[in-house]
Amino acid sequence: MFNDFKVGAVIASSFLKRGNKKTLAFIVFVLALIFVNLVFLPSMMGGIGRMFTNFMEYRYGDIIIEPSGDNLYINNADNILQKVRVVQEVRSATKRLDVGASIKYKQKIVGSTLTGLLPSEEYEISNYPYIISEGEFLGDSSRNEIIIGAMLVEGYFGSEIYDNLGAINIGSFVNVTYSNGITRTYKIKGIMEGTFELTDLNALINYEELKDVFDIDESKATSIVIRVKNPDDSAKAKEKIIAAGVKEPIFTKSEKSDAILRQAMQSLDLVNVISRYVSLIIGASLILIIIYINVLNRKKEIGILKAIGISPNSIVLGYAILSALYVLFGICAGLLLYFLLIFYFTTNPVIFYESIEIIPEIQWLLIIQSISAMLIMSVIAGIIPAWSVTKEKMIEAIWGR
Amino acid sequence: MMINVKNLKRHYKTGQIIVKALNGVSFNIKPGEFIAIMGPSGSGKTTMLRILGLIDKQTSGEYTIDKLNLTDLPEEQRRYYRLTQLGYVFQDYALINEMSASENIKILSLMGGQGKIKALKEAHETLVKVGLGDKDDRVPDQLSGGEKQRVAVARAIAKTPKILFADEPCANLDTKTSAQVLDVFKTLNEKYGQTIVMVTHEEWHTKYVSRIIRLKDGLIVSDKKLKKSRKK
Repeated sequence: MFNDFKVGAVIASSFLKRGNKKTLAFIVFVLALIFVNLVFLPSMMGGIGRMFTNFMEYRYGDIIIEPSGDNLYINNADNILQKVRVVQEVRSATKRLDVGASIKYKQKIVGSTLTGLLPSEEYEISNYPYIISEGEFLGDSSRNEIIIGAMLVEGYFGSEIYDNLGAINIGSFVNVTYSNGITRTYKIKGIMEGTFELTDLNALINYEELKDVFDIDESKATSIVIRVKNPDDSAKAKEKIIAAGVKEPIFTKSEKSDAILRQAMQSLDLVNVISRYVSLIIGASLILIIIYINVLNRKKEIGILKAIGISPNSIVLGYAILSALYVLFGICAGLLLYFLLIFYFTTNPVIFYESIEIIPEIQWLLIIQSISAMLIMSVIAGIIPAWSVTKEKMIEAIWGR
Repeated sequence: MMINVKNLKRHYKTGQIIVKALNGVSFNIKPGEFIAIMGPSGSGKTTMLRILGLIDKQTSGEYTIDKLNLTDLPEEQRRYYRLTQLGYVFQDYALINEMSASENIKILSLMGGQGKIKALKEAHETLVKVGLGDKDDRVPDQLSGGEKQRVAVARAIAKTPKILFADEPCANLDTKTSAQVLDVFKTLNEKYGQTIVMVTHEEWHTKYVSRIIRLKDGLIVSDKKLKKSRKK
């Protein structure tokens, strides 16, 4: 076996060293494209998945605590905030109040969720302060001021799909009627645009103002939103918060994403899986065809090698090594091409619905899986044709028939 | 070493026609003989050489070397016998174009279980024997026709075979280059006692050989010894 391997290595290395360089370049180029085909589309899909998950940050931070059971509110929000803020992994935390309301501007009325928040705390928690496309974000002293989601404003992305308030401007006044019947007038201070329905169909006002409207005490909230120092520590932080004695339901961002975006993510995953299998089948077929043609072109050499007493195992092993080397070069070229594409699409993201940027996500596990799959396929693709040629009659192989 | 060929036949089908390439040939070869197999095209020369070289199989008959019956050896043993006991020079050199002269030879030693360094040394020594000691690293494309054929001879004798077969080794060479190759054969035969069986259709080649077997229509029509050949 060792002799077979030594001879196989000589066969492979000499064919590689002294074979036609143009053919080698072509084979490597095609194999590089096969590799890119295996990894690039899933990276884009990963980017889309990450984009959806990132949308969740507006409302849910890294971790969110919600009222337990049928309770409308977390009754001891400040107490929970104290417990949360001492957890080592937690960077910041805030409370919010979400209520249903209808917003009226001129003759147009839309239903919406109003979130009462503590504006200065949100800078450390969510992206709300950073997605103001017109006007300004709220301040801690803001009263009778409102931030309107872009999809409620005519002319913004998505507004054509939903009921909107028409063409409103910063400084315009809207009437908000709450579920308890109270109506208040607010001046529009800003328009926020997150290009995501959970954000852009909502409106924001100061927590203190909403507390007054519903006449609830200081310690009530409909959610506590937490940002951790390192997003990878979300699960760990959640465990510590539970250990600190918080009884209310706690969710990480990914758990919320799973729940809310499950259908979309499952569809994406399905497309992703199908595309991977199709790519793998196409890749396997192409590798087999390339290596098969290559072996057939060397049929005469295989016949000669057999005739002078080289064992079929050495010949088959030689082609398996040769094929694996081709694929290895193809993978290296493919990785280069892949990272160039990643770099290009990171600096020039694909724009989705005019403003959503999709940045591809490097998936190391998939890259390792693809490299392994291609190497395994290459060995099989080298073995099958070489083995079939070694089984042919020597004379016919030498004649190249 | 004694080679015995008894009633060797090779028939094959071409469409509906059965071609009798060899129709029952019998002869013996003694060690150190340099034999020319001659005859017109289609007489069965190459077919016989391929069977003797274990590259093709006979339809019937018996073929033994040193009383070992090679007729029905399994393929793996035939291959091992080809590697270790027989040398074969093809008409069109049959070198691996991607391998250097020395690699074309070295590969046989590696297959035989030798280490890389010893295999390289042996390959070089064999190239020296055929007068190509300075062409180790040349690939076939960088060699002349005569040099290619001498590399092919070197490959065939690298494992010091019991018998060396050569199938029209000068078919693609001019007279001068042919003489160079035949001189190599002569030296191998006279200096090292190498047994050689060579197919040729050139009458002037017979001055190098010790015996001529003539074939016609798959049968031996004459078997003539020319001079005493060197014993191994």
